[in-house]
Amino acid sequence: MEKKSTKNTGNALRSYFSKPANVITVVFLVLLILAVVLPLCTLLIGSFKVNGNQEAIYIGNGAADGDFTFHHWTELLTSKDFNYAEIKFWTPLRQSAAMALLACVVAVGFGGVVAWFITRSDLPGKKFISTVFVFPYIMPSWSMAMFWENFFKNTAINAGEGILQSWTGICVPESMVYGLVPCAMSLGLHYAPFAYILIGGILRNMDANLEEAATVLKASRFKILYKITLPIVMPALISTVLLVFSSSISSFTVPFFLNKSSINSGNNFISISVQMRSLINTGFTKGQGYVVAIVLMVFSIGILTLNNWVTGSRKSFTTVTGKSGQVSLVKLGKAKKPIAIIMTVIVAFFAIMPLFSFAMESVLEVPGDWSTFTLRYWISSEPFEGSNKGDTIGILRSSIMWKAMGRSLLLSALVSLIAGTFGILIGYAVASKRNSKAATLVSNLAFLPYLIPSMSFGAVYLALSYTKGFTWLDGSFFLLLLVGSIKFMPFASRTGTNAMMQLSGEIEEAAIIMHAPWWKRMTKILFPIQKSSFISGYLLPFISCMREMSLFVLLVISYQTLVTTVLSEYSRTGLSQASNAINLLIIVVVLVVQFIVNKLTGASIDKGVGGN
Amino acid sequence: MPKITLEHVTKRFDKFVAVEDLNMVIEDREFITLLGPSGCGKTTTLRMIAGLETPTEGRITIGDEVVFDSEKGINISPAKRDIGFLFQNYALWPHMTVYQNIAFGLENLKWSKEDIRKRVDEMLAMLKIEQFEKRYPSELSGGQQQRVAIARTLAPKPKVLFMDEPLSNLDAKLRLEMRTELKRLHADTDSTFVYVTHDQLEAMTLAIRICLMKTGVLQQYDPPLTVYSDPANLFVADFVGNPTMNFIPATAEKTGEKSYSIKALGAEMSFSSSEPVGELSSGGENNAVLGIRPEFIKLGGGKLGAGVYATLPAGMETTVKLSMGDDIITSVEFGSVDYPLNHQVKFDIIGDDIILFDKESEIKLAKGSVAL
Repeated sequence: MEKKSTKNTGNALRSYFSKPANVITVVFLVLLILAVVLPLCTLLIGSFKVNGNQEAIYIGNGAADGDFTFHHWTELLTSKDFNYAEIKFWTPLRQSAAMALLACVVAVGFGGVVAWFITRSDLPGKKFISTVFVFPYIMPSWSMAMFWENFFKNTAINAGEGILQSWTGICVPESMVYGLVPCAMSLGLHYAPFAYILIGGILRNMDANLEEAATVLKASRFKILYKITLPIVMPALISTVLLVFSSSISSFTVPFFLNKSSINSGNNFISISVQMRSLINTGFTKGQGYVVAIVLMVFSIGILTLNNWVTGSRKSFTTVTGKSGQVSLVKLGKAKKPIAIIMTVIVAFFAIMPLFSFAMESVLEVPGDWSTFTLRYWISSEPFEGSNKGDTIGILRSSIMWKAMGRSLLLSALVSLIAGTFGILIGYAVASKRNSKAATLVSNLAFLPYLIPSMSFGAVYLALSYTKGFTWLDGSFFLLLLVGSIKFMPFASRTGTNAMMQLSGEIEEAAIIMHAPWWKRMTKILFPIQKSSFISGYLLPFISCMREMSLFVLLVISYQTLVTTVLSEYSRTGLSQASNAINLLIIVVVLVVQFIVNKLTGASIDKGVGGN
Repeated sequence: MPKITLEHVTKRFDKFVAVEDLNMVIEDREFITLLGPSGCGKTTTLRMIAGLETPTEGRITIGDEVVFDSEKGINISPAKRDIGFLFQNYALWPHMTVYQNIAFGLENLKWSKEDIRKRVDEMLAMLKIEQFEKRYPSELSGGQQQRVAIARTLAPKPKVLFMDEPLSNLDAKLRLEMRTELKRLHADTDSTFVYVTHDQLEAMTLAIRICLMKTGVLQQYDPPLTVYSDPANLFVADFVGNPTMNFIPATAEKTGEKSYSIKALGAEMSFSSSEPVGELSSGGENNAVLGIRPEFIKLGGGKLGAGVYATLPAGMETTVKLSMGDDIITSVEFGSVDYPLNHQVKFDIIGDDIILFDKESEIKLAKGSVAL
């Protein structure tokens, strides 16, 4: 009897593993537990123990490296000495939350309005608007912040002449250039295309009959919008608000660029993520930095759980099929032309002006003064004063910049290859094992990195690379590759799963019966059918990785490693021409890659995001 | 050669039992339909035989080979079962032309280029789709796609062909046409066909034997006409036949080895069979159900009388609904007849295919004739 049961288990196992979907599920379950759950545990442990000797000295009371302690939590959250907790934690948290809320309003308002005009009205010039409108989302998130600074800075606040001042002479107050409002505006404008893609996707797929039915029942335009359209897009709207909020509150780069404040204004805006970096970067308060990371993570996970709960219970609303043919477009009538012109101008302003401003800033010695035009910061081979060997003033001559660019491209290419392929495999496993607990777990684990703010995610791996047994990871290219692949996998696994779910199981079964082995089914049947979606799954991680800074900023050994870290170093040390030039270069590379891939394969970035 | 045997096959999804302890033998070159309402487990059964679904328990043999055995842990992959499978929505690969779709299976069998060309041409000719060779599935109509799917399935000459409601996406006329062709195809190909449908007419017209299922349990496995005229229970009798059988509440009492006395339709009758009849599970009022096919209610004479409730002429035959107390009785007359509403008619119950069911167990007690 005993023997029989073990034999049965053996047989069951053998038959379980004879299915590729099961093998993939198990492999990824192990992989994701190692790559996501394990580092998270390390971080959690790190917040409860003394990390290193410096920290032990800082804590005092005879604490030694590795001891268990509540000190990080109590000190950061409750200490009243010099108002420590208030200054280091609560104020930044409040400020970040306010920034994130404001960013939501901007993103949803702007993106939502554009989405409605594009999908539901007969606005002329839609194609141009919708193409250009996505630009700010493709650009690195800090681009809008840099543009904001370039545009609004002025001599009245000792920040050099910006575009606005040189054109009109207007000097805006400092709170419009640095601090809470500019940060929120930059983030809002950056995420507006994201809102546009999400809300527009719902509006586009919404069954036109729903609105037509209301029209037939003599409802007014406004009433239809208010009673029919809005409730239907509400889940997408809430979704967008929550996602933008959770991304914004933990955003590092934008506050990093826009928190410089002059001495006399008393404008001290410090975001929680910037605070976290400074806590982690000193050897004394690593544990407190981990506490911030955990708090941010709990925030994001809480928000996204809320999001799933909201959309989950009303899902039937959002999956309206677009089967009923023509969408009846709202006639704008006389307002058509003026609205089109205003929209085009606004959209173009935020999409093209930044590029223009980066180009301009990079060629003017004194910002705004065309008499100081120079190509020095692009092509000069003079070395920087006191700088490392190979660092020249002209970025195109700088071997440091080119090496960094090469590494960034290589890293992004590898990350896209790994994340994209993993995404497809996970999608395959999830789709062919619908409702299986293990597959759902894999899908959730693969999505988890999305919920973790980039900075926290960096911190997670930083903590891991300081842990015994993992120190070989510290500062290695492999660490960057690992972090990048895991962090950007959610995009790929989402697109992969969506694409696979659209294929009925019979498509593959028909090939199974035709004696096609697994790899042939994948390469000859499944991949070609959903080619453009899958390639979007590769493209998205590439673009995200190429422009990513917050994730890697804690993990690189020197600023020279990646092109984005070179950029941040130049910006930090006040070399604004060079940093503008590099930023322009990154955007151009990303846009060119996206354009080539789009032309060659028809894949595009909004295809991937639209399925979110 | 490929005789298919299912022994104690059970399939459970978590706690839900899709198929329960199914035993059946499909003879070589038979044409079997798995029939039943949706959710009865017929598709699951088909997919288990094909190997696309793994049974929870049991044993399946195709030909001499055991393809699945839960005890011994045998589970042969569908690719190695030498079968063809025709899907409900065809599952044509949208990125391949008609030719490529049909050739794909042959390529996997490592056929030579010339042989593939020859076989595909043969299939194209057989299904009369030569002119679509270079088209993509999306450029074809439903009926044409269906033909391509059949060609693709038949190309590797499978010994067994499984079909999962393959005609349900076609319009009524095309469906009729394809039925004829499938029956022809069965004769021409020398293969065993197993066909899933919820359409009783399709099952009746196509099959050599029908396997009727309900909530995962086999109800009856017999030739179509047996299922029609000698149903095993109330469910089968009700599911097969259109218009449906008349079920008349009756009070029965066994009077001999082969006879009952029955009170039904307000009359006393005697029921006699040529075979020994079953025992009623209880006595008392309404302990039985008398099942009479509409064609056995003969209008125009007889001892029973009823009012005409409605007349539904269909050209070839006419369905007459009769009202008798609380009961509505259906009768089918050949040809066109018309009766005014509420017209009183006389009728008789004729033939030897009258069924008596036990009310409680719903099982058939006897088949025979009634005399008033």
